[in-house]
Amino acid sequence: MTLPFTHVDWAAIAPLEVLAATGLLVLLLDLVLRPFAPRALSLGIAILGTIATAVMIGQQYGTNVAAFNGGYIVGNFSVLFGGVVLLGTLGALALMGRGGGDRESAGTIALLLWSACGALLLAGASTTMTVFLGIELLSLSLYCLCGLADRASAREAALKYLLLSSTASAVLLFGMALLFGASGSVSLAALATPAMVGNPLFWMGSGFFLVGIAFKLSLVPFHAWAPDVYEGAPLPITAFMTVVTKAATIAIFARFAYAALPSGASQMLLLPIWIVAGISMIVGNVGMLAQHDLKRLLGYSGIAQVGYILAALAGTTRLGLRYAFFYLAVYAVMNLGAFAVAAALSTGDAEEGAKLETYRGLGARRPLLAAAMTFFLLALAGLPPTAGFLGKILILAATAGSGYLWLAALLLVGTAISLYAYAKVIMAMYRPDHRVRTVELGTSAPLPWVSLALCLVATIAFTFYPLLPTGLFPLVK
Amino acid sequence: MLLALVLLPILAGSAMLLSRGEDRRVYRGIGVVVALATLAIAIAARSDDWSVPWLRAPFVANFHLGIGTLAFWLIALLALCTACAVLAVDSARPRALVGQLLLLEGTMLGLFISRDLLLFAFFYDLMLVPVFFVLLERGEHPRDAWRYIIYNFAGGLLLLFATAAFGVLHGTTDVIGTAGNAISGTWAPWIFWGFAIAFLVKTPAFPLHTWMPNTYASLPAPVAAVVGAVQSKAGLYGFFVIALALMPQEVARYSGTLIVLGSISLLYGAVAALVQTDAKRVVAYSSLSHLGLIVIAIATQQPLALAGAALYIIAHGLFTAALFIGLGYVEEREETRSLARLRGIGAKNPRLAGALTIAGLAMLGLPGLAGFVGELVIITGIVQSGNIAVAVVAVISVVLASAYVLRLFQGIVNGPVVHDLPVRRDLSWREGIAIAPLLLALLYLGVNPHAVLAGGAVAIPRAPLSSTSGVSTP
Repeated sequence: MTLPFTHVDWAAIAPLEVLAATGLLVLLLDLVLRPFAPRALSLGIAILGTIATAVMIGQQYGTNVAAFNGGYIVGNFSVLFGGVVLLGTLGALALMGRGGGDRESAGTIALLLWSACGALLLAGASTTMTVFLGIELLSLSLYCLCGLADRASAREAALKYLLLSSTASAVLLFGMALLFGASGSVSLAALATPAMVGNPLFWMGSGFFLVGIAFKLSLVPFHAWAPDVYEGAPLPITAFMTVVTKAATIAIFARFAYAALPSGASQMLLLPIWIVAGISMIVGNVGMLAQHDLKRLLGYSGIAQVGYILAALAGTTRLGLRYAFFYLAVYAVMNLGAFAVAAALSTGDAEEGAKLETYRGLGARRPLLAAAMTFFLLALAGLPPTAGFLGKILILAATAGSGYLWLAALLLVGTAISLYAYAKVIMAMYRPDHRVRTVELGTSAPLPWVSLALCLVATIAFTFYPLLPTGLFPLVK
Repeated sequence: MLLALVLLPILAGSAMLLSRGEDRRVYRGIGVVVALATLAIAIAARSDDWSVPWLRAPFVANFHLGIGTLAFWLIALLALCTACAVLAVDSARPRALVGQLLLLEGTMLGLFISRDLLLFAFFYDLMLVPVFFVLLERGEHPRDAWRYIIYNFAGGLLLLFATAAFGVLHGTTDVIGTAGNAISGTWAPWIFWGFAIAFLVKTPAFPLHTWMPNTYASLPAPVAAVVGAVQSKAGLYGFFVIALALMPQEVARYSGTLIVLGSISLLYGAVAALVQTDAKRVVAYSSLSHLGLIVIAIATQQPLALAGAALYIIAHGLFTAALFIGLGYVEEREETRSLARLRGIGAKNPRLAGALTIAGLAMLGLPGLAGFVGELVIITGIVQSGNIAVAVVAVISVVLASAYVLRLFQGIVNGPVVHDLPVRRDLSWREGIAIAPLLLALLYLGVNPHAVLAGGAVAIPRAPLSSTSGVSTP
């Protein structure tokens, strides 16, 4: 066995370095300038740093470099998933600009950026060691961030997330250890050999690995933590988790499913995942029906949406990966848009926009915000003229094309249920109702509005200019 | 031009929704001008063809617009109905209503001029949204909005699935306006039923009709007119340009099922219309009955029956719109739609009673009005195709139609004036102009059906089917 890190390629991970350094800079500036510097300065630096990272990642498009002896692979795959991660980070930062939220200080912003670093690492990780490094970097910061708001549910969320996510990490790590025992290497590529098919260690290891991933993706039956955690965490952090955590974990899952499994074992090993994805579509959408909290609702919606994305991967076809990525990107903008509306209705820790009762009669009180929320909810349900519609049909084409008709059927059923759940919110907004709350709503802070407008434009534009990625392969070296 | 045809009503409607003010005259004026402008554009752009690429994988899809023969008549019907409906709007909050009507027109125009299946599915779902919002804001019960959107969205999802499967197998969805057996093999029945169920929900046909009576009764009269007259035709139009044109073998294979469903709709709708106590529901169930006849005509694939179906689609649209608008006037004046309460409109408002009577006579198939020609040609076609039993069922339903129409009119129009109902003025000029064009069109098509019948003979596209095998792979 050779040490995996004999060659250090700092250039390949330059974007991660910039992002991490931005976090440090935010923290240091806050230390020095605290009496003078408003939070806006920290936020501004963080946003600029994230955009700079995005530009640097963008410049890696079209390259194909295996850094750290294949531990971190720079390619279109990592660039695109990294792009979604940064999109989610920017969206979360924009929501932090909603005013109030005293505890969302420079330290919070720094933790968020470092968490995003972990997600970026996952986008390119191709050995089990880098995978674990990325997952822990992503999660450790989030444990703190979840408990940020001053309310009991936030403390509950943080503790729950810490306990359950650590358990998932342990399962994942155990799987990795078994896989290492099977192949004698930490590289994912080393698993894709025919010799593995007869090796019980490989089967057990892969099983544990996939269970860990399913946990992190909050797939049924490992989904119960997600709505609770999302409800307790502050709005920006919830937005971050629904987009960034999912994107990074799907990246890992896709790399594992496409590149690390020998062809003889792939179909059988992954079948439970497709089944679980199908069940998630139903359970997630049914779960939405009974919610009174927007963050919980979007949490359940996220469970179902991950199911859709995985449905595109069923059969592990090359086209399927492209559509899964397309839908992931679309989901990111639709979801961030919905969160931006909620943020525009909130001030600080009160988070009026997260309570569904706030939306009663909103159509008359704040017509523009109500229209925007309607748009994003219909997009999540997959109605035209939004990219959600196009994403659905591409997933259907991929799923049906690779012969998983039952998965396509579950997708149709789930989508029909989901429309009912989303439309309940819409109805609350437009149906004349005497129980309209009289609380003062909304913030004058510009950032949520900017984020909202950008998400709106993107959701429509993706319908007419579907940017389907190419050159995602090879995933390992 | 074709793009403007879709965008003009959509942009005008959106601008209206975002504007402020509730001046009825302004919104009605703009609405009528926009609706008539779309008619003018449609006539001018009748032979245009416009296409821009959309998808290259997993199948080829284009933003491809063009006006087919049947589509042209449906567009004319749509523009006319929209103009009349907008003119008939008499709400205290006309802005949103007229805006939604224009959005509805724009999305349905998009549906009728789509040359691409994916674009067709796009508009098929999109046209649900304006109606859903009208039902939410003005419907009688939230349940009606649910039923409408869930039923139709589920149908739309099946359409989406069928479209995706069609695209993957055939290589392109840019096929509307061509004809041939596009799909064969084990997938063909699945795809066919995906399309067929979606269309049967929209039409609607038994047993997928349960959303319809509530929706029509709950919608404000002008919107009910457009939805009942034109949106219900989206499914039948789909049968013509998709099922009949691209999968005639499958239609032939399952014609028995379709004929049975159509016959049940035909009889059940007629019987149900006989016992309704709500005037709007009588029209709703009669719609189920009449459109069932068209489903049968489509299932036989007999050229004469198809030509009759094309004519009857237009005729049904005209008299349904006229009836809904007319019943809307009745409701405004009498503040009830209950047949148990309504009496003696003929004595109070003779002009209104006359308009209702002409529309009703067209519905029961009086010779000289367009409904008669459509029914006659369809039944002749069914007889020619050898389905004598079905023709008998159709004739029975025609007799039942006379019964429920006469019941409706004896109830509303005849009889002594009810004293505890308010007495209001008769039709104003505006209200009259909003219903007259529909009645005149019924008369015109009744004496000169050839205008549409000739078109109906070529309602199914004749251009040979083209296939692109060049699906790009990554």
